[in-house]
Amino acid sequence: MNSFFASTSVLLAAEAYHYLPFRNPLPIWGYWYLLLLPLCLGVSIVYKSIKSPAMRQVPRDAARLFVAIIGGIILAAIALALLLRWIGK
Amino acid sequence: MSGDPKGQSHSPPVPLVALATWFIPGAGYLLLGQKARGITIGVTVLSLFALGLLIGGLHVIDMPAGFSFDLIMRKPWFIGQALAGIPALVTGFCAEHYNFPVSHARMNEIGTLYTAIAGMLNLMAVIDSSSRAMGEPQARGQGSKRP
Repeated sequence: MNSFFASTSVLLAAEAYHYLPFRNPLPIWGYWYLLLLPLCLGVSIVYKSIKSPAMRQVPRDAARLFVAIIGGIILAAIALALLLRWIGK
Repeated sequence: MSGDPKGQSHSPPVPLVALATWFIPGAGYLLLGQKARGITIGVTVLSLFALGLLIGGLHVIDMPAGFSFDLIMRKPWFIGQALAGIPALVTGFCAEHYNFPVSHARMNEIGTLYTAIAGMLNLMAVIDSSSRAMGEPQARGQGSKRP
């Protein structure tokens, strides 16, 4: 009986969540990790805009840096997952 | 669309360039005549900042109650956020005085991260635009090619 009330209250809370941009948090709890992409893209663009002598080089350099950052993070995630699996044995 | 001035004889004072870049991201480069660089950096920093507010709500900018060292150290993320300039200060004031709901947990953390990183990228732009205003050949893109 208690679990019924608990699940009902969760459903009611989800129904009651009325999202207003910039006022309430964005309801993307299921795929929050994709928010890494725009952040890395922004960092790459600003960094290369500062470092590159000519702005013409920025799109290509920023794209390379973006791929390098994402690749590095994926490799780090794989290494950590393997380490955790090895420790867990 | 290089955005780099060729043979510019005089540039605005360094403090003015630094303050302009801090208050309005990218504005210091516009004062130096580097439109493409200024617009690219300004739009990117402001987009990251706005995205942070969209993710966590306006209350991710959590201003300290005062400006003593002790009060600021209780909310250290605000130091990074304040580096984004006028948008951060206006947002912090609005969130504090117009009763915006406080966000919690992961969305609050990600929004705070976005806004603080936008501020720290703007700090890099402040340092770079200042060095360009001082006329360092490397910073102007006229010296040896940097990676």
